[in-house]
Amino acid sequence: MAQGVCVITEFREGAFRRVSFEIASEGRRLADELGEPLLALALGESIDALAADLGNYGVEKVYVVDDPNLKNYRAETYVPVAAEVLNNLDPKVILTPASVDGKDFSARLAARLGAGLATDCTELKVEGGSLKAKRPMYAGKAFAWYEWADGAWPQMASCRPNVMDCLAPDTSKKAEVEGAGVEVVAGTQTQVVNIEKDAGGKLDLTEAEVIVSGGRGMKGPENFAMLEELAKLLGAAVGASRSAVDSGWRPHSDQVGQTGKVVTPNLYIACGISGAIQHLAGMSSSKYIVAVNKDPEAPIFSKADYGVVEDLFQFMPALIEEVKTLKSTC
Amino acid sequence: MNIVVLLKQVPDTETKIRIGAGGKSIDTSDIKWIISPYDEYAVEAALRLQDSAGAKVTILSMGPERVVESIRTALAMGADHGVLVDDPASEGSDGLGKAKVLAAALGSMDFDLIFCGHRAVDDDENQVGIMVAELMSLPHLGLAVSIEVADGKVTIQRPIEGAKVTLEGTLPALVTFGGAHAIWNPRYASLPGIMKAKKKPLETKTLADLGLSAADVGAQGAKVKVTSMELPAERQAGRKLEGDTGEKAKELVRLLHEEAKVI
Amino acid sequence: MQPGHFPANILFFLIFIAANGFFLFTVYRLYRIMRLGQPEDRFDHIGERLEGVATFVFGQRRVIREPSGWGHFFIFWGFVIITIGSIETFGVGIYHGFAYWKFLGKGLTSLLYLLQDLFCAAVIVALGVALYRRFVVRPERLKYEDQKAVNQDASIIIALILLLIVLLFGARATEYLLAQGEPGRYFPRLAFISVGCSYLFSALTAESLRAWYSFFWWGHTMVILGFLIYIPFSKHLHLLGAIPNVFFRRLGSVGALRKMDLEDETAETYGVSTIEEFTWKQLLDLYACTECGRCSDNCPATLTGKPLSPKLTIHRLKEHLQVKGKMLIAQQGSAEIPAGNPEDEKAKVLIGDICRHDELWSCTTCGNCVEHCPVFIEHIDKYVDMRRYLVLMESSFPAEVQNVMRNWETNSNPWGLGFATRGDWAKGLAVKTLAEDSHVEYLFYVGCGGSFDERAKKISSAMVALLNEAGVSFAILGAEEKCCGETARRIGNEYLFQTMAVELVEIINSYGVKKIITTCPHGYNCLKNEYPQFGGEWEVYHHNEVLAQLLGDGLLQTKLPLDKHLVFHDSCYLGRYNSVYDQPRKVIKSIPGLRFSEMDRSRNKSFCCGAGGGRMWMEETLGDRKINDARTEQALTLKPDIIGVSCPFCTTMFEDGLKERNMEEQVRVYDLAELLVRTINPGKK
Repeated sequence: MAQGVCVITEFREGAFRRVSFEIASEGRRLADELGEPLLALALGESIDALAADLGNYGVEKVYVVDDPNLKNYRAETYVPVAAEVLNNLDPKVILTPASVDGKDFSARLAARLGAGLATDCTELKVEGGSLKAKRPMYAGKAFAWYEWADGAWPQMASCRPNVMDCLAPDTSKKAEVEGAGVEVVAGTQTQVVNIEKDAGGKLDLTEAEVIVSGGRGMKGPENFAMLEELAKLLGAAVGASRSAVDSGWRPHSDQVGQTGKVVTPNLYIACGISGAIQHLAGMSSSKYIVAVNKDPEAPIFSKADYGVVEDLFQFMPALIEEVKTLKSTC
Repeated sequence: MNIVVLLKQVPDTETKIRIGAGGKSIDTSDIKWIISPYDEYAVEAALRLQDSAGAKVTILSMGPERVVESIRTALAMGADHGVLVDDPASEGSDGLGKAKVLAAALGSMDFDLIFCGHRAVDDDENQVGIMVAELMSLPHLGLAVSIEVADGKVTIQRPIEGAKVTLEGTLPALVTFGGAHAIWNPRYASLPGIMKAKKKPLETKTLADLGLSAADVGAQGAKVKVTSMELPAERQAGRKLEGDTGEKAKELVRLLHEEAKVI
Repeated sequence: MQPGHFPANILFFLIFIAANGFFLFTVYRLYRIMRLGQPEDRFDHIGERLEGVATFVFGQRRVIREPSGWGHFFIFWGFVIITIGSIETFGVGIYHGFAYWKFLGKGLTSLLYLLQDLFCAAVIVALGVALYRRFVVRPERLKYEDQKAVNQDASIIIALILLLIVLLFGARATEYLLAQGEPGRYFPRLAFISVGCSYLFSALTAESLRAWYSFFWWGHTMVILGFLIYIPFSKHLHLLGAIPNVFFRRLGSVGALRKMDLEDETAETYGVSTIEEFTWKQLLDLYACTECGRCSDNCPATLTGKPLSPKLTIHRLKEHLQVKGKMLIAQQGSAEIPAGNPEDEKAKVLIGDICRHDELWSCTTCGNCVEHCPVFIEHIDKYVDMRRYLVLMESSFPAEVQNVMRNWETNSNPWGLGFATRGDWAKGLAVKTLAEDSHVEYLFYVGCGGSFDERAKKISSAMVALLNEAGVSFAILGAEEKCCGETARRIGNEYLFQTMAVELVEIINSYGVKKIITTCPHGYNCLKNEYPQFGGEWEVYHHNEVLAQLLGDGLLQTKLPLDKHLVFHDSCYLGRYNSVYDQPRKVIKSIPGLRFSEMDRSRNKSFCCGAGGGRMWMEETLGDRKINDARTEQALTLKPDIIGVSCPFCTTMFEDGLKERNMEEQVRVYDLAELLVRTINPGKK
């Protein structure tokens, strides 16, 4: 009989990633509602010493596999180990991080366990002793609630990072740590050949999750420094409208729009861009759009989720300060 | 070299999503169907290997008859051959069910590489391709933005925050593709390509042909299923923030952080 | 060797036959080369075609649109008159007693001689002007990359004409003197220039006079025959090409591109990638070119420094046709292009060497070249045919275009915005859809810009207000509307265009629509002139036509004055493509207080805004400046408050042009419908 809620942590470069604490906190809540214990499976290298800290977030017992072969995530080393441990544990619910590696891991593990998997969940709840998971579809244009078939244990859900609330750590609580006692095989199917750090750190527009973009309202190339600063704080790329590119302020590779790049970031901040349709065609599928423009009639406002009618030379410095404040508190 | 591209037909990304009758799926009337963009990048990547190394490219998909149009599109781009698993009993499959169907179809095919998008842009599940790799015990190289095949090995590049990772895997392998349209620029079918595609072989298979029963896959075999759908609160485009400069900045950061959750 | 006496007459006869034989042989070869082209039916409406020959060949209607054309007028008519005279001159060569006056009488002959004298003199003056233009003024449009060869050719022609006229005067002056006192000969005194020239020879004996006459006569006739032989090898090939080209010119709408047969399963290639894939008429165009350069003189691409110059295209095509044509005929139709030296004329390929890709993509299809060509060459169709090859066969086009084509395919608009939202612009306006009520007089076909672009939506709204004000019964298609595909066709994607056209025709016809109003000249031209190819037979009106009519009928009445200065930009597809010039001016003049100035380049000389031919969807990176910037500058020289337009694309191009100059506050761009709605219905914006 399946029992317990098990969270699988993500460990990178000597520390748990924040998402591990998020799913531990979420797991605690679900375990309480289910009346089940909260367990964790921690895979990694030199993870042993830190595993007990998961107790800060309500984990009661941590099964640890500490092995040099688990230094970096590779499916061929992680998945068999995790499957073996979980087959023994037989938990009711498994929570995993829906990070880049976590997505690969979750899907493989689910296939190996024959479990039903809801990926990238943003909300979880318990109803009738069973898990219900909410997740976005169609690029966030709809949400679906998932339920598991009767008796289909374990119920597996991967959780979107930065969405679920993280409990305030209670450092007085430590989790019981136990070696899982499984063999780790050194896989040979895949290997990382090289990791090349981007020299300039310049993020490609089409890959960026946040884009800060400037138009004719920027008045000159020198003022883009402001946008660069904000972009750096947000991990964003800097884009430009066609007129800014035509004026020679930015290179053509920065151009967003019909004849430039078509982008779909989570957040698009348009500064001094009026929003001609040729520009909108390149960015209107962004999840959230912020417009900063002093002309309240600018068409960009009709597409913006948040419009700011302000002189951007006043507003942007204030915004940068606020973002700095936010970043320093979390 | 043989490459099988797993392709999913999805509603165009501009589609206005409405919940269908029954509340468990979207209303599919009046939808323009396209090849899921990441799958299209996979097709393009396969065709580049066809150009450079003479790879034979097969398109494998599952779904109703309308999917034929998308397979023909890929054939018009240059793929050689199409296979569609069209069986009403496979409807309602969960991710694992779909992976089982595809793996069963792949079981009777020759391949060195399986390509697909890292996710389909309809249900955004991000699991079927990876599960196929697991079911077939293949290495999976994910989120490729470039690919090379040589000496029995496949090498891809994947961007991560602030860096680019080069991964190598042994053949046979499954590669899922990421990136963006601007990176892959999938080719535009020529008219002779479109004409030829009409005559290229396209097989249709049922679950029985694959040796699967409806109990394994489809709604019956699904371990997890959608029980209800909802639309996000209608976002009020055109909303303007109030207050002085400082207040607006504060409010904007709060909204982006708490409401939109994008920073 | 007195002309017309034995054995000179035999000798002359032989030379005459030989020269004409050679000439006919050359012409026959040209004809065979032309017939390498694909079939095309240009034999309809013979009457109208002949009328065109009268107007445009004999009347020189298009040639004399420009001052320098008058020179050509006199040279042309000089030629005709000289040719009439030449028949007599050649007759004399066979039999010395041959003379017109014996058939026509002395009165008519006198008149003819006088005319000949006058036109010969006029030709000399015109040739002087031509020489001055070519070698002193050296206008841009006479420039070619092989300038030396072109100038040499022109000099030979001018020298030959000059020589033959001087020799003719010589012959006639001496003939006049010889005719004096010789019974049975007559020379009219009315030919006062010839008579005047005779003073130069008055001191000569009869013997020397005969010798001189003989010299002049032989010289004159030999130059003419030499000229005959030289014509097919020179730019004067147009003497042979122009007349048939005018005859076979495109009748009816200039705005319809040829429908491609995409159903033909046996077709191996689409579009044009080799010169012989053009139609015979397109090849005849090349023979007709006079190298006048008017096409390039009015071409927005050429004038803004783009790689495209229509005159060079035609010139290069002509040269290429001669080389490739001869090869094809020698090899009986299967010309293998020799590999190797790319400098070798024979190794050149049509797309890439003769016409470069960036030339083909620079064309805005504005139609100025076609409009101003005195011999009706159809440049645009050639560019589009080559684009068709690139797009349909090679999927080769500017990178930006792919996105647009996909957007048309999935959402039937160039921006890729959701097709279901197409009718949203009309929310809250008093406008029905055909689905709600199909018993209306007009379909208002809004088009992509008017449906999706915030700026152009204002034009659509203005139009709705005006139609309602005038009590016009109309409806829109709403979300059912599709893009007309005009731009896809001009980009060369005929396959996509035909798919779109068939779909739209089906939708419109399902409501039994008879009349259509559009606000976009591109959709207007396409629906009106191209959709009949797909079973879309409707009366189609641009809103300027409708508004002019409603104003004329008193159904719209302007009230509020507008104290502004306006310049009006004629859209290519409204003006040149469909000759709608007066209606917008009528609308403008109906607005009280509005001051109106015509731009230098207006009506059929209007300069493209830069958006046509798919250029709207491509980056404009070549050349010394952007076309919309050039056009905006032209408008601003008149210091207007308002630039009036009648096309959503022109609106965008001018607004962008003004923004680039930081002039968007001082000068505004309005569609005429927007101006009209303000003066009629002040409540509306």
